[in-house]
Amino acid sequence: MEWLIFGFLSTWAVLSVLGVLFLKNPIHALLSFVSLILAVAGMFLHLRAELLAGLQLIIYAVAIVVFYVLVITTIPWEKVKRFEGFYKREFLAGFPILLVSFALFAYAILKGSFAKVGLEVKDNVKEVSKSLFTTYLFPLEVASVILLTAMIGAILLGRKEE
Amino acid sequence: MTIEKAYMLISIFLFLSGLLGVIIRKNLITLLISTELMLNGVNLALVSVDRIVGGIEGQVFALFILAVAASEVAVGLGLIVALFRLRGYEGSSEITHLRD
Repeated sequence: MEWLIFGFLSTWAVLSVLGVLFLKNPIHALLSFVSLILAVAGMFLHLRAELLAGLQLIIYAVAIVVFYVLVITTIPWEKVKRFEGFYKREFLAGFPILLVSFALFAYAILKGSFAKVGLEVKDNVKEVSKSLFTTYLFPLEVASVILLTAMIGAILLGRKEE
Repeated sequence: MTIEKAYMLISIFLFLSGLLGVIIRKNLITLLISTELMLNGVNLALVSVDRIVGGIEGQVFALFILAVAASEVAVGLGLIVALFRLRGYEGSSEITHLRD
C-alpha cells in the first residue's frame, strides 16, 4: 500500500516536472507547477508532516501562484510570445551532466546509511510548533524580518519613478 | 530500499530538473518557476531525512525555506516587472548590458 501511494505520487510529480520544463506557454508551465505543488503536499502527508503539507498548500498553491498569475497578466502577450520554449543547444549540453550527477547522488543515497536517533514523534503539529517557539524562536523572528525586508524591497522596485 | 530513500531520490530529481530549467528556459518568469522547483526539492529532502532520523528539525527548517521562497518570489517578480517596464526585456538572452 505504501509503495502504491509512492508510485502514484511520484509519477504525478515527474509528469508535472516535465510539464514545467518543456511546455511552451508560461501559463501552462505555471499550471503544471500547481499540479507539482499538490503532489509534493501529498508526499508531505505521506511522510507524516501534516503541518508542512497544509502550509505548502496555503503558501505555495494560493499565495505564490496567484502572484505569478497577476504578474503574467501585467505583461503584454505578444512580448511573452517571442520568448517561449527552451534553448535546444543548452539542453543538449546540460542534460548529460545533470544525468551523471543524478546517478552519483542516487548511488550515494542508496549505498549510504543514515543516523538513527529513533524517537517516534506522535503529534506532529504540536511538536513542530513547540520546537518552533522555544528552540528556534530567534530564527523565526529573523524570518519575519526577512519577509518585512522583501515587502519593502518589492514596494520600492514596483514604484513608478516620479 | 526503504520508502524514505525513494522519496529522497524524487527530491534529487526535483532539484536537478529545477537546475536544468534555470539553464534552458527562455522566459524570465519560467526561470523563476524553475527556482521554486529547486526549493521544493530541498524541502522534500529535509522532510524525508526527518522521517529517517526521527526528529522534527528538518520540518522547522522547511518552514524557514517556505518563508524565504515567498520573499524571493516577491523580490524576483518585482525585478522582472521593473526590468520589463524600464527596458522592455522579457527573455533571458536580452540582458547583455554587462557583456557588451
